[in-house]
Amino acid sequence: MHAGPQNPGRRPLCRAGAAALLAVVGWTDAARGAPITFNTALPVAKGEFVFRGQFVLDQSGDDPSGADRDRTAWAAVSVLGYGVNGDLALFGVVPYVDRSLDLTVDGSRRSRSAAGLGDVALFGRYTVFKDNFRGGSFRVAPFAGVETPTGDDDESDAFGRLPASVQPGSGSWDPFGGVVLTYQTLDFQIDAQASYRANTEANGFEFGDVARLDASFQYRLWPRDLGGGVPGFLYGIVEANLVYRDENRAGGLDDPDSGGTTLFLVPGLQYVTKRWIVEAAVQLPVFQDLNGTALEKDTVVRAGFRVNF
Amino acid sequence: MHRVLRTTAFALSLFLLPVIAFAAPAQYQLRVDGLACPFCAYGIEKELNRTDGVESIRIDINAGTVTVTMAEGATMTEAEAARIVEDAGFTLGGFEEVRAQASTKPE
Repeated sequence: MHAGPQNPGRRPLCRAGAAALLAVVGWTDAARGAPITFNTALPVAKGEFVFRGQFVLDQSGDDPSGADRDRTAWAAVSVLGYGVNGDLALFGVVPYVDRSLDLTVDGSRRSRSAAGLGDVALFGRYTVFKDNFRGGSFRVAPFAGVETPTGDDDESDAFGRLPASVQPGSGSWDPFGGVVLTYQTLDFQIDAQASYRANTEANGFEFGDVARLDASFQYRLWPRDLGGGVPGFLYGIVEANLVYRDENRAGGLDDPDSGGTTLFLVPGLQYVTKRWIVEAAVQLPVFQDLNGTALEKDTVVRAGFRVNF
Repeated sequence: MHRVLRTTAFALSLFLLPVIAFAAPAQYQLRVDGLACPFCAYGIEKELNRTDGVESIRIDINAGTVTVTMAEGATMTEAEAARIVEDAGFTLGGFEEVRAQASTKPE
């Protein structure tokens, strides 16, 4: 964690965390849901596997620095979950990434890019509280894990070593943890997550820590009336992600042009059957308070599927 | 001739009916608390399908019930049903024997 006496110039994370918490509490009071933008709430029974494949297009631009930076990141993210028992589930998240950064340097346009296996994340989730009732449930489950340095972090091109934001991997071991709450009924589902990732240093560079609050509301649009059996459900989804990033550190110094707070609003659709799910959502940055000339998000598009086996 | 055949068929069906009824396997209705979406239903279906003696299952997500039909001669206890439901991440809210396993020999 970067905030503290050793880094007095940094914004205290607790302040952002408190604001974020308030925002999500307000959000969940007003709405209801089911997550596309986070994986920690994936349901998985004992001895069962769940696989989620998701394609993510992350576009950033609107550069205040004058370098006219334009960053595009594609990712194919595979998530495999296994239910050890009714309460404990283990997950692995394997991303394949393709990142490019176009920018203007000394009047000429440069395009820098890299692709490959990203950093694999491993985590476990344990349900500490479960209240199952007729047609619904409420669950509370802490989770913890680590993002491992499996992606290349020393890619270079004709201009030299690529910047960290383009490298497929960070090179660092980054632990993370949090808690996820799920309230589910036949008509709707709400998930809310609070999490923190403590990024560590590699190659003289350290991404800022990330604190985030996520909420998801899933409402059954079809069928309006349930008959017998197990029909497929079409859910309309609205999610919100409040993400606070601390400043990066390079060569032992804070980068004042990195980090900040972003709030995404995420409309989406999800079709759910017993064996599979297809889903798509768009993350729209409705609020951005970034440090210095940090690059702003344009939009993030997610589309994918899930299968039970 | 036609009448004789019809009478014979009727007599045979009367004779076989109790045999069929007595051979009917046991059936149970489980009320599964926490069952609230199609994707969740697969977990309990899989758990039940790999249980010895389970012939078929029918899930009614709206009612929150799972009807389990056993193979001939097989039975399920409430404790066994509770364990299966728990392993799938749910809670057994009720257990009812819809049709008892009966002797295959008519008296």
